[in-house]
Amino acid sequence: MILGVALVRPTPVLVAVGDGVPEWPVGRAAARSARRACVAVDLSGLPTAPVAAIRVGGPCPEVLRPRVGSGAATIVRGGHSLTGRALAPLDTEAVRRFAAGCGLADFAVTATGSPMLADHELAVAAIVSAEVPGARITLSYEFGTPGLREREESAIRNAALGAEAGRIVDEAARELPGVPVYFARTGSGVVSASYFRRYPLTCDLGGAASLARGRVALPGVPHEVAAAYGAAIGRPEARVERIVQARGRAELDRVLQDARDEALTRVVSAGALPGSARIAETTVNPLSYLPDGLYRVRVTAEGTVP
Amino acid sequence: MGRVIDRDELGRLSAGSRVFAIGTEESAYRLTLDWAHSVIGSGVELVTAGEADPGTLCVSITLVGSTTALGEQLPAGDEPARAVRALERRLGERAGAVVALNLAAENALVPLIAAAQLGVPLIDGDGTGRVFPLVEQTTYALGGLSPAPLALAGGSGELVLLETPGDRVEELLRPVVLSFGGWGVAACYPMTAGELARVVVPGTVSLLLRAGAPGAPRSAAAPYGVRTLCRGRILAVEGSTGHGADLALPSLPSSIVVQESAGLRRLVRLEAHNEIVLALADGAPVAMAPDQICMISTEGGMVVDVDKAEPGLEVEVMVVRAAPVWHTDRGQALGGLRAFGLPL
Repeated sequence: MILGVALVRPTPVLVAVGDGVPEWPVGRAAARSARRACVAVDLSGLPTAPVAAIRVGGPCPEVLRPRVGSGAATIVRGGHSLTGRALAPLDTEAVRRFAAGCGLADFAVTATGSPMLADHELAVAAIVSAEVPGARITLSYEFGTPGLREREESAIRNAALGAEAGRIVDEAARELPGVPVYFARTGSGVVSASYFRRYPLTCDLGGAASLARGRVALPGVPHEVAAAYGAAIGRPEARVERIVQARGRAELDRVLQDARDEALTRVVSAGALPGSARIAETTVNPLSYLPDGLYRVRVTAEGTVP
Repeated sequence: MGRVIDRDELGRLSAGSRVFAIGTEESAYRLTLDWAHSVIGSGVELVTAGEADPGTLCVSITLVGSTTALGEQLPAGDEPARAVRALERRLGERAGAVVALNLAAENALVPLIAAAQLGVPLIDGDGTGRVFPLVEQTTYALGGLSPAPLALAGGSGELVLLETPGDRVEELLRPVVLSFGGWGVAACYPMTAGELARVVVPGTVSLLLRAGAPGAPRSAAAPYGVRTLCRGRILAVEGSTGHGADLALPSLPSSIVVQESAGLRRLVRLEAHNEIVLALADGAPVAMAPDQICMISTEGGMVVDVDKAEPGLEVEVMVVRAAPVWHTDRGQALGGLRAFGLPL
């Protein structure tokens, strides 16, 4: 039996799904015997933590600086152009000073050019981990999308949701000891609890996505039941988005293979059985007005659960 | 006396500038709009070329390169002013007004930012009446003016001044833009207001201000008319590997096949080179450059760029008629099919 959970106030709604047929309500003992549990939850309105945002790049107009609300933000020199050239050496000392002095534990790191080359984000992460033991660090390249400000916004929101996501995962583990727990993604699919803990933004609209799926499958049932059912029928899914440079077909094939390998690795960490991971879709678009074979690559991988 | 583009008008201008804009990028557009809002202050004066003193030095401002690159590598903020100042130093004269090269999305806003930073008026008009990919493909060039000397400012403090015969500007500019990281702001086509009045596509800024008003029809943004070629679904997007063609264009050719949803259910093939330059319906040419062919998403109403086209997308293919000067022999040579490497 698979347990679908709609995480709504005041009490979560549980639906048991066996052979595609939903049953509810579900008692605690039955819930704890589930093969797995899939949670539908929307993260909007959840408490957010103040975030320390580190942008790696050049100076910019005030209006384009990082937006962190009650957190803290800095811009340090470094980053790469979309063609992969280093704009400036990473100002490691500025990173160290900010990390040590900001007094926060949730970090969002966004480097110029990271969809192309993430070296500076990784270097910042290493410095922050050394300075702030236990820091939770979100790197923007994990979200991939080009457009520095949008990617930074995603990284900051992911970092802000980290603590609350961890609390939800811990609570689910207490309520359902020994039951593997998955969370519905925005769009389609589910991810493992450990993936959700690290990338909660992936599931920002997981509740709405589950509801949409559930209502198609079960018209006429209460919303919460439809959402719980919609989550229960999801499969692990993960995406990778990158900008790559390739001269000629052979090189493009090679970098595409790298992106696919990364998507496969990622879907396994999102809870797919290693043998089941497969590429669902690869999209390659050349970038206009930029010569020398620059492409935007998007790969979706999916798999099945144990 | 001209009117003033203030914050409210800026909203309308930016909305109007996107109606048929190709090659734009959401991220670059949003940041340019935020940037413009932050510098516009009490507003920028909008005047016609004829209203300015005929001897006034006017310079054309444009973003050069990739908007994706701009969205990734943000501006320092001083690029438009820095480019204009460099051109002024070369010419030994202050610019008294700026004018757009074209008015597609970010390119409508960057000249406005320049005007606000320099405290000079913006001329009501532009150099294309639509968008072409090359700096040389303008009504200014058709009128015999040169894009050079041209000053290009980059986001990391770079500044390059190009002094070259006009027909070599693009060739020299492209590797410079690339070495800047993919984009730069150019100040080019220095000319007097008297010359500008002769070569400008007039009134296009006012036109976009009207087209960007809430409820304005899409056709309001097309100064010389627009028609719908077909409504349909994208069946296929085919990219070329370039096959070694010696073309002075910054991208590779591709084809998009659209199946008409109703009526004759024709297969419409769109040949693209950065932008769509030729449309064939069941094999017969039905639209071509210098007219502008664009795909509008049926769902969102936004222009779908060639590099974002995906099979399954529902689109309306529209043809925006180019300014009359583009339909002359010289206009055809500079902006017609042959200029895009299709000797049809």
